[in-house]
Amino acid sequence: MEQVTITSAAAGSPEFAALAAEAAGETGGVSLGWAAFSVGTVASVAATTAAVLPMVTETLGPVDGGTTSTTPILPDTGKPVTPLSAVDASRFLTQATFGPTDSTVGLLRNIGVDAWLFQQVWHPVMASHRAYVDARLVALRAVNPQAQLNATHVYETFWREAATAPDQLRQRVKLALSEIFVVSMADPAIDVRGAASYFDMLGENAFGNFRTLLEQMALHPMMGVYLTHLANQKEDLNTGRKPDENFAREVMQLMSIGVYLLNEDGGVRMDGAGQGIPSYSPNDISELAKVFTGFSWYHPTPTNNTFFGGSRNVNSYVLPMIPYPFYHSTSQKSFLGTVIPAGAANPAGDLRIALDAIFNHANVGPFIGKQLIQRLVTSNPSPSYVARVAAVFANDGQGVRGDMKAVITAILTDGEARQFSWAASHPSYGKLREPVVRLANWMRAFGAASVSGNWLVGSTSGGTLLGQSALTAPSVFNFFRPGYSPPNTRMGTAGLVAPEFQGVDEVSVAGYVNTMQTAIGTGIGTGSDVRAGYFAEIQLARDPAALAERMNALLCCGHMSSVLRTKLIEAVTSVTIPAPTPTNQAAVDTALLNRSKLAVLMAMASPDYLIQR
Amino acid sequence: MDRRHFVKTTGALSILGAAAPFATQLAAAGAAAAQSAPDYKALVCIFLFGGNDANNMLLATDTGSFDRYFRARNTGADPIALMPVGTERTPVGATSPVTGRVAQAATPEAWGGVLPIAPRTAHTTPDGVPRSFAVHPFMPGVQALFAANRLAAVANVGPLVRPITKAQYLARSVPTPANLFSHNDQQSVWQAGAVEGARVGWGGRMGDMLASQNGGASLFTAISTAGNAVFLSGRDIIQYQLSTAALPALVVNGATAASLFGSSSAPAGLREIIQGASANHFMQFDHTAVTARSMASATTLNSAFAAVGTGVAAPPAFVNPITGLTETNSLAVQLQTVARMVASSNTLGAKRQVFFVSLGGWDTHDFQNRNQSANLARVSHALTYFDSVLGSVAGVDRRAQVTTFTASDFSRTLNTNGDGTDHAWGGHHFVSGGAVNGGDLYGAFPTIGVDTAGFVNPDMVSSSGHLIPTTAVDQYAATLGAWFGVGAGDLATIFPNLGQFSRPNLGFV
Repeated sequence: MEQVTITSAAAGSPEFAALAAEAAGETGGVSLGWAAFSVGTVASVAATTAAVLPMVTETLGPVDGGTTSTTPILPDTGKPVTPLSAVDASRFLTQATFGPTDSTVGLLRNIGVDAWLFQQVWHPVMASHRAYVDARLVALRAVNPQAQLNATHVYETFWREAATAPDQLRQRVKLALSEIFVVSMADPAIDVRGAASYFDMLGENAFGNFRTLLEQMALHPMMGVYLTHLANQKEDLNTGRKPDENFAREVMQLMSIGVYLLNEDGGVRMDGAGQGIPSYSPNDISELAKVFTGFSWYHPTPTNNTFFGGSRNVNSYVLPMIPYPFYHSTSQKSFLGTVIPAGAANPAGDLRIALDAIFNHANVGPFIGKQLIQRLVTSNPSPSYVARVAAVFANDGQGVRGDMKAVITAILTDGEARQFSWAASHPSYGKLREPVVRLANWMRAFGAASVSGNWLVGSTSGGTLLGQSALTAPSVFNFFRPGYSPPNTRMGTAGLVAPEFQGVDEVSVAGYVNTMQTAIGTGIGTGSDVRAGYFAEIQLARDPAALAERMNALLCCGHMSSVLRTKLIEAVTSVTIPAPTPTNQAAVDTALLNRSKLAVLMAMASPDYLIQR
Repeated sequence: MDRRHFVKTTGALSILGAAAPFATQLAAAGAAAAQSAPDYKALVCIFLFGGNDANNMLLATDTGSFDRYFRARNTGADPIALMPVGTERTPVGATSPVTGRVAQAATPEAWGGVLPIAPRTAHTTPDGVPRSFAVHPFMPGVQALFAANRLAAVANVGPLVRPITKAQYLARSVPTPANLFSHNDQQSVWQAGAVEGARVGWGGRMGDMLASQNGGASLFTAISTAGNAVFLSGRDIIQYQLSTAALPALVVNGATAASLFGSSSAPAGLREIIQGASANHFMQFDHTAVTARSMASATTLNSAFAAVGTGVAAPPAFVNPITGLTETNSLAVQLQTVARMVASSNTLGAKRQVFFVSLGGWDTHDFQNRNQSANLARVSHALTYFDSVLGSVAGVDRRAQVTTFTASDFSRTLNTNGDGTDHAWGGHHFVSGGAVNGGDLYGAFPTIGVDTAGFVNPDMVSSSGHLIPTTAVDQYAATLGAWFGVGAGDLATIFPNLGQFSRPNLGFV
C-alpha cells in the first residue's frame, strides 16, 4: 500500500474545501462511523453539562492562550475550600499541567484543587491539532503549491497547546495517553495529518469513558497502520495465511491488561511457585487477532478495492476505519474466556464483544491507573494508592466503570499526591521529569512566546537535544518502559522503577543542559522562534535571594536545597550590574537579563528541579 | 594468586590452544610487519530490534526445503517469497517467469535470486539429502565475507531454558523462557537471560570478568551507541554512552566555558550543581552520577578520538535498493564509532571492550518486502564497511581482535499474513571478524515447512510456523565469551543453564 499524498485536491480548490468541510462537519470528535459504535458523543456530553451545571465565562491571560472559555463551576457543596499555599499550588500544577505559571497558581489558590479539577475535566476541547495542520498546509501552499506536511508541523501545534492551552489538564493527560496508546511518526507509514487527528482523539477521550477511548483508538486509521491491523484479512486455510497478530498482542500487553494477572493494588499475582500468572496466552492472541480483521480505510462506498487502499483521499487518514464484512473472520473466536461463535461476518459486533471483554478485565484499573500515576505523580506509587485509583476505575461512585474524569481526579487528589508530608517521609516517592515536559515547564513558567506564532520548535528527538519529541517514540514501547529499573543505581538496587531514567545517559544529560542553555539564552527552534523575556525575573534580579526563591517556587516546588540556593545566589551575584549612568541603560538591562537567565539555567539543570517530588 | 584470578588466567590461556584464532593472529601480525596489534579484544553486538525474519536472511535451498518455503510465502496481497538461486532480476514492469507476476521495485521478483553460500561442513536433511544455502539477494557483502572465511552463520538460535523437542513443547513438559513472542521481554531475555526488569546482561557480566585488564580505562569497558541496553550492564560495570559524532563525548558548554551569562565563575557553579553538589535524595544522586561520569571523561574521550581523526574512514554511501535513494546507514555510522574506539583503545588503555549497536524496524508485520530487504541491505553494507576499516587501523589489521555478532528479539513465522510475518522464536544469525572460523554454518539447520497432511516438521510448531531453537542463546553467547577470554567457570556463572546443552562452545570463533 503506497502512501497517498494530498495531491488529489489542491489546497484552495473546491474539492479540498469540500473534503475539509466534510471532515470539519464532524465536530468535537463526532464523525461518520463513530455513531455506530460510540457509547456517547462529546456533543451530547457538552449539552448535558450546559443543561445542569452553572457555567462561567472567563477570558484567560495571554500566557494561557488569551482565549475566552466557558466552563462549568463546581456546585457549591458547602465544604470550605482549603486555601492552598503557593508551594502546594506549584506542586499540584507540576503534576496536573505542563507547569505552573503565575496566573494559574493564582487561579488555583483562588478556587482550590477540587474546583480547578472540576473545571478542567469538564473543559470543552479548545483546539484541534488536525485543524492546525490543515490551516498550516493551506498557508504553506499559498507560497509553494507543492508543499507537504511533515512531523514538525505536528510539533508546532503540540508545543502551542502545551505552552498556552487553557485546558492544561487535558493537554497533560493527552501526552500521558500518547505514551500508552503509542502511535509514532517515527514510522514513515504514519500520515502527519492522521497523527494530528489521533492526538485530537486522545484529547477528546481523556475525560470520557475508557471503553470509548479503547474503541476510538482501535478504530483510528493511524493505529490501524501503526499496529498493522488496518486491512488485516481473515485466515485462509488453503494457504495457511493467518491474521496479523500485532494489534491483538499489543492492545492487551501494553494498552489494557498487561502480561501478568494483577491484584487491585497493581502487584503481580503469584502462583504457588512464586511466578507471575500470564493474563493471556499465545492462543488468546491468535484468536483475538481474528476479531481485528476486516477493518480498513473509510470510504463512502466501500469496495474490495477500497479495503486495500484504493480511492483514498485526505480524510481516509483521519476518519475511523470501517468494517468490511467480506474480509472479517467468521470462524469461532475464543479469547480471555469469551467465545464468539462461528457465524455470519459481524465485524462491529465482534469488536464490541472483544473490547467489552478487554475493558471488563480486572487488570485494567490497576494496569492503566498505575501508569497514569507514573506519568503524572510518582514512579513507585504505594500499592494502596494504586488500589484506591483502581477502585475508582472500577466504580466512579455512580456505578460507572472506566470514568476517566473520576480516575484522573482520584490520582491528583489522593493524599499521596497532594501531601508533601508523604513525599518527605517516603524517599521512594518522586519521578524524573520527562525531557519534553521540562521544555514545556520553561515555556510556561517564563511566559515564552513564539515570534512567528507557529511555535517552530522542530524535532527535539536527537540525542544532543532532548532525546524525545511528542508522538515520536522509537516504538510502540514508548520512550521508556513502565517497569524500567536503572542498572547500577541506588534506585535499581532498592528495587525501584524509574521509567524516565531509560533515556538518561552520558550523552543525553549533556544534550539537555546544552539545549536549555540555548533555549533560555536566546530561544529554541527555527530562528530562535520560541523565546522568553523574563519580565518578572528582571524585576527581582537586583535581589539574588529573591530570584532564587522565585526559581524555587516555580521550578522546585518549594524544596530547593540550601546548597543549590547558595550556589545560585553566588552565581547570580557574580554577574555585575554596572552602576547606572545616563548612557548605559542597555548594559544594565543586559546584566539583569543575564542574572535572570543564569538563575533559570542553574535551577533547571539542577537535580532539585529534575526530580519532581 | 587467588582462585578467581587463576581461573581467569587459565581461561585466557586456553584461548591460545585453539589453533585457528591464534594462527589468524599470527598471520595478521606477520602481515603488519612494522607494527603489531596491541593486546585487545572486542565483542560487538548488533541488536536488530523488532525481530528479524531470518527465514528471508538465510535460506536452505535444497529442493524440498525451498519448495515448502516458497509455497508458504508465495501468497497473499504482497508475497514475501524470495526467488530461487540463479534467478535473473525481472525488470520493473516485466512479468516474472517464476511467479507470473509483474515486478515492482519492492517485490522479490525484481531483486533476483538468493545468493548462494557454500558452508565448508556438509549439512544434510534428516532424510540424508545434501543441503545448500543462500542469503537474501541484498546481502552480497555477507556472501563475500562468508566466502572469505570471515563470517559464519549460526542456525536457529533462540532463548532456551533447556533443550526442548516439539513434543515436549506441545505438552509443556519442559520449561521455556517466559513471555516468548513479547518484544520487550525477549529483547531482555536475549540480552540478560530474564524478562523485562532485568538489570544485568551477559555483555556487562563478561565486562565485569575482564575489566581489570582495562585498569583505569575500565570506565570504557561497555560502550553503547544505541541508548541504554541491559546487555551492557554488569554487576560493577556501568555502560558508557557515546554519540556518533566525530567527537563522541558531548561537552556541557555552560559548565566548561570561560563564562556563562556574563559571569566567569558561574560555569563552576553550574558544573558543581549538575554533578551533584546539591543532591540530597538518591534519585537526584542517580541522575547527577551520570552527569559526573559524562563530564569526567569527556576530554579524555574527545582527545583520543581527535587523535584518530580521519584515520577511520567514513562509511561509503548507502543506496537504498528499493528506492534507489542515497541514505545514511545508521548501523554503519555506529560501527564507525566502534572502529574509532578500537583505534583509540591503546591511547585510552582499554584492552577488553563490549559494544552494543542497533538497528530498528525489523517488526515486519506488514510491508516486509520493502522494509526488511532494505534493512538487510543495511546490515550487509555495514558489516562490509566494518570489516574494511578494521582491516587497517593505523596501518594494523585489527580484524582478528573484533568479533561482531547479530542478535534479535526473535525470528518470525514461516507463514505470511499477506504482506508480512508475525513473531516467532528460533532464528539464524551471523558472526563476523578475523578470528571467526568463517565460511561455515554452525548448529543444526532446522527442517523448513509447516505441518501439512503429508508432512510433519519436528522443528516447527504452530500453524504459522515458529522454529523451536536448536541452539540456545546461552551456547551462542558462551562461545563468544570463550573467545573473548572469559573462563569456563565464569561462563558457567554467567549462564547457569549452559550445562543443560550438549556443547558450551560451538566453535565458530
